[in-house]
Amino acid sequence: MAKNNASVWTSIRFWRRSAAWVTGVAVVLLIFLTFDTMSQIRMGTDKELEQGIKRRIPAPTVINHHIDYKYDEKRGMEVPVIGKKEPFFGKEWSPKEARALLHLGKLTVQAKNCMDCHTLLGNGAYYAPDLTKAWLDPMWEKTMPAMTGKKTKEEAMAEFLMHPGQYRTHARAMPNLKITPKEAMGVVAFLKHMSSIDTNGFPRGFSKVIKEGKTGGTYAK
Amino acid sequence: MGFHMFEPCTDVACNNIFAWLNQGPLTLTIVLHTILILPMFWIYFSEKKKLGK
Amino acid sequence: MLSKTAHLSPSKQLAMNYFRVAIVLFGAQLLFGLLAGLQFLFPDFLYNVLDFSVNRMLHINALVVWMLYAMLGSVYLMLPDETGIDHPVAIGLGKLAFWVLTAAVTVVVLVYLFIQIGPGKESTIWFINEGREYLEAPRWADFGIVVVVLIFYANVFFTYMKGKKTGIMTVMVADLLALAGLYLAGMFYTDNISVDQYWWWWVIHLWVEATWEVFVGTLAAYGLIKVLNAKREIVEMWLWIEVLMLFGSGILGLGHHYFWIGTPEYWWEIGALFSALEPVPLVAMFVHVLYDWGKEQGHVQAEGKRTAIKNGPAIAWISINAFGNFLGAGIWGFFHTLPQVNIYTHGTQFTASHGHLAFFGAYATILIGMMYLGIQESYGIERMKATFKSKMAIVLITFGVVGMTVALTIAGYEQVLVERAELGAGWQAYFTAQNLPWYIQAQVWREIMGVVTFVGFVYLLWDLLTIGKKEAAAE
Repeated sequence: MAKNNASVWTSIRFWRRSAAWVTGVAVVLLIFLTFDTMSQIRMGTDKELEQGIKRRIPAPTVINHHIDYKYDEKRGMEVPVIGKKEPFFGKEWSPKEARALLHLGKLTVQAKNCMDCHTLLGNGAYYAPDLTKAWLDPMWEKTMPAMTGKKTKEEAMAEFLMHPGQYRTHARAMPNLKITPKEAMGVVAFLKHMSSIDTNGFPRGFSKVIKEGKTGGTYAK
Repeated sequence: MGFHMFEPCTDVACNNIFAWLNQGPLTLTIVLHTILILPMFWIYFSEKKKLGK
Repeated sequence: MLSKTAHLSPSKQLAMNYFRVAIVLFGAQLLFGLLAGLQFLFPDFLYNVLDFSVNRMLHINALVVWMLYAMLGSVYLMLPDETGIDHPVAIGLGKLAFWVLTAAVTVVVLVYLFIQIGPGKESTIWFINEGREYLEAPRWADFGIVVVVLIFYANVFFTYMKGKKTGIMTVMVADLLALAGLYLAGMFYTDNISVDQYWWWWVIHLWVEATWEVFVGTLAAYGLIKVLNAKREIVEMWLWIEVLMLFGSGILGLGHHYFWIGTPEYWWEIGALFSALEPVPLVAMFVHVLYDWGKEQGHVQAEGKRTAIKNGPAIAWISINAFGNFLGAGIWGFFHTLPQVNIYTHGTQFTASHGHLAFFGAYATILIGMMYLGIQESYGIERMKATFKSKMAIVLITFGVVGMTVALTIAGYEQVLVERAELGAGWQAYFTAQNLPWYIQAQVWREIMGVVTFVGFVYLLWDLLTIGKKEAAAE
């Protein structure tokens, strides 16, 4: 009966069974969570957008709308607010056109490897500003349209993307990535769409900057 | 004082099991941890029984 | 490292081939890292020629690929010892796969260097660059990697089925299946950036915070038996405990990447608590290595011998692994894993500091240790002592990486507090923080420490090339 004293804590079988159990259940839970999350982060439809049904990732036609980022008392964070319709590159884009433009934009963002300097939704490299809410950045309201000689925010963004070396704002400048006019429109659509994604309040405090109409706050030169 | 430990769901979508379990301070994660760890007690005692034989 | 492998079993010869390519890619990783680091200080350096994005892509891709090479090498190194079979079932195919993979990697690197980017079309994703951090390899290469990995896995699996089935090898075979399968989650295109990043993290996180960690656990177990004669029962029991805790915390710890990418709020607490537990198994691994070392040393001293260590450089690197894994992956990861902190630190130099120490501490160290084990066998050395060069490599590389980590942590603090907390993010806020004197000083120190690391690497390379001959002669 000497074996009676052997402890379960030093039994390989016990740890092996426990490891198999915990790993298996964690995987199953992750699969369930993935199904639920996938249903919540699929791209919304145009109908949902028109009816004002909130989606975490709205339809591509969100580019026809004004987008804002405001503090939500109930959630304790800033959330994107989709407003009235506004022209985008001077027109309203049909669902099909908007989808095609967003497709081109996302492909361009990958083809030009934006993510190895910038961050998208906070992921990427840290050599250039985060682009999650770039569409809402106050720099595009007056400074950059004036610098590029364009009337609207979207045109200024497109112009900047095509000739970044000409419009340097800091010593660190974006390289020339041979972006065509069409691709530039696509990237701007991608950025506008990304700014409408509900990111649970990231980046925090960005709306403060929008309200004051300046970035860089008190120390900006 | 406008302070509640247990808040109703404020997320974009609340009609799913995980949002429902997420009722305030760590409720969801505690449930998941319990599912993972509780059966280890059963594994422990079943191993103990086997070692005794 | 270059010669003297003819008498080795075919599996181990192949392992040495993988190690040789790995060490070259390690050098490339450091070189492109130095270039990218310089661009933080001199933004016009190589502007429009070899831009930061290209250097950074090569820096992190060389990192991932050299580690995968060294991992494949380590598996081929342990396969004969663990299964008792010197001749894996399809070693010919395995050798072919090695050359195919190496040719593919060369082509991908040349395209990265000389073509860099393409037009916004599917063809760019297929042939030039996928533009997703860490997974930039174009789609054709993805499929090539899948085929090569299938051949590798078949070799390991069927050899395992034919031979002895040790606990170490059982964990390895299961872990490799998950590791290889996960790569598929990164092989598709979608317009939806949130869905894109959701699956992208399946590859990245479930590799480095789950399957790679378990892989390291098996390597440490194997290494301790080889280097210290550690008792297999004890080592394997620890291994199962590590699997339990690593997968128990690491799989759902994935949630800490789903705080801000458009995914639901419930990920906050799943990600927070599970990932907060991720350091626990790393403490266990640390204790385990030192415990075994001390125990075996006690045994041999009782027998009147001087040391239990059969491979000095290997045990040194395995010990640094134990500590570095806990510090880099565990502590530096825990710093910013809670959503309350992460909402400010997400996407800052904080992440970069964690990345540097974690990849080094958790992976680079033990894989270098495995290379030393391979050399010891190649030259049939009974007891391999650390040379002056081994010691210089250990000291300089470790000091350099820790120095870079500290510098980047300070840069991260600056960025988080000024750009995020004070100014509320945005274009100007970003550059205001980047131009702060303290931030720039930190970047200078990072570059200096990068050079220190590189000098350490030169010593390492030199040592790997010469230690076998020298120690064999000494015996």
